[in-house]
Amino acid sequence: MNQRGRILGIETSCDETAAAVVDQGRTVVSSVVSSQVDLHARYGGVVPELAGRAHVELALPVVTDALQGAGLDRRGRSFEDLEGPLGIDAVAATIGPGLIGALLVGVSTAKAFALAWGVPFVGVNHLEGHLYAAMLEAPELELPVVVLLVSGGHTLLVALDAPGSYRVLGATVDDAAGEAFDKVARYLGLGYPGGPEIDRLARSGDSSLIRFPRASTAGALDFSFSGLKTSVVSYVRAHREVANADVAASFQEAVVDVLVAKSLAAADEIGARGACLAGGVAANSSLRQRFGEAFAARGMMSYLPSRAMCTDNAAMIAAAGYFQLERSGPTPLDAGAVPDLQLRSSK
Amino acid sequence: MRILAIETAVIEVGVALADETGPLASVTARPGRRQAETLHPAIADLLRIAEIAPSQLDAIAVDIGPGLFTGLRVGVATAKALAGALGLPVVTATSLEVLVAACPSAFGMVVPVVDMRRGEVAWTMPASPEPGFRVGAPGELAAELAALAAEGAGPVLLVGDGALFHRGLLEGATTPAPVFAGPELAAPPVASLAVLAIAAMRNGTCCDPAEVGALYGREADARINWTTREAREAVSQ
Repeated sequence: MNQRGRILGIETSCDETAAAVVDQGRTVVSSVVSSQVDLHARYGGVVPELAGRAHVELALPVVTDALQGAGLDRRGRSFEDLEGPLGIDAVAATIGPGLIGALLVGVSTAKAFALAWGVPFVGVNHLEGHLYAAMLEAPELELPVVVLLVSGGHTLLVALDAPGSYRVLGATVDDAAGEAFDKVARYLGLGYPGGPEIDRLARSGDSSLIRFPRASTAGALDFSFSGLKTSVVSYVRAHREVANADVAASFQEAVVDVLVAKSLAAADEIGARGACLAGGVAANSSLRQRFGEAFAARGMMSYLPSRAMCTDNAAMIAAAGYFQLERSGPTPLDAGAVPDLQLRSSK
Repeated sequence: MRILAIETAVIEVGVALADETGPLASVTARPGRRQAETLHPAIADLLRIAEIAPSQLDAIAVDIGPGLFTGLRVGVATAKALAGALGLPVVTATSLEVLVAACPSAFGMVVPVVDMRRGEVAWTMPASPEPGFRVGAPGELAAELAALAAEGAGPVLLVGDGALFHRGLLEGATTPAPVFAGPELAAPPVASLAVLAIAAMRNGTCCDPAEVGALYGREADARINWTTREAREAVSQ
């Protein structure tokens, strides 16, 4: 790879078709996200077959837009010199975790671009991508940091020691935090996706009204949210008179309490310089506020990525692709998608 | 004029190169569900064996279905991306067109039949006035074959995995029974797609990769359920 290290990243693991161009894993040159949320909203969740079909339609136009944002045409050549050299050094795509039919479109598209251009293909773990989201927006970030990765499918505490080098410190033993938000929202009859709805409703509720349980787990840095969800359901059954806003606020408080406490414990354990939020639930306003305050009180920096960087995007995939290519080289073209891919500590 | 053709719509992953003289080389496999793992190495191998660089291609051809959804997505996404990355046009053909093209021309009446799972097949009748293809139960196809025979049509050749899969039922559709093409034509042969595409390019029948989409032959599940639910709700009101 030359000095420039310019990576085209592609992300199609769920219901966003995204592409981005990133330099050396640090500088976002362009980033395009096309959301299918309207397509799925009426079904109350992501419909895998519809997602897969939409990705097939959107992948090439979204990649074309991302290349254009980097001053390149669809062939990867500069608009200033259409017969000049290729402007991309490698193509990265999310290989998992996610919906198989959705992932395969991004993987097929990325491998085809890499093959056509004769540049390396890099298959990226989506969760590893999230680790670099804060770094892309805060270049001053000093490592090691603790990353709290919270989304609809995952709740993880990770020590990011250096780009490409990380350790998983804790994970959920049952439901992910975002899953608990979605399930409680559905039970309360709120819309989809549930996280933003609870966040909005909780603002007008009393978070100290109901003391929902904060689960303890065998592993000090692990999480458990399934008991909390059950507890919310039984409480609402027994107390029909209590306002949804108060239930939402008290539930959210219980989730945020645990997430913040364990993030602080993880930071102490590894002697972190700071802490980052990542994943879709990192857009939750209460979590952002309490996370920031808690680390500030310890005299540590916290990095809260923008909403666009919390949710699925391809810039973080391109960044992860760059570091992976540097450390472990390209991914062979016979790689497929891995829907249940886990995040494990790097070697 | 050099074309790279991609076939993933039915049960085979195939890639072929062709020019005006005919097919140059091809690679095929029946990899089950591992279409995405198989297709890209096959393209790389084929180009290496034929000593052709991607930049020496003039068009990409792809089978856009009907067929199996996952295979279609892998093949169509790959064709669009390859053509986009190389600045090339795409030639599309349906799986049914390729099956017909692969049959000996001496046989007048060819009915291509592709298995669609869930007890359905897709087919086209020869000289049908309607464009496109039909999707339905094999029994419906048998009835159409019987009607064709009643009009005094000659023997019919059935080709494709759908015909082989439902052979027991379709054999009884007409007297004498239709002729069945062998298992080597269960999937559309990619070399036939490549040759069709060369002819199409000569006529200028190609398009920009952004315009290419798959023909799934069936609505996505959620959409079907939703429509049924709306219909049921309308009835119950």
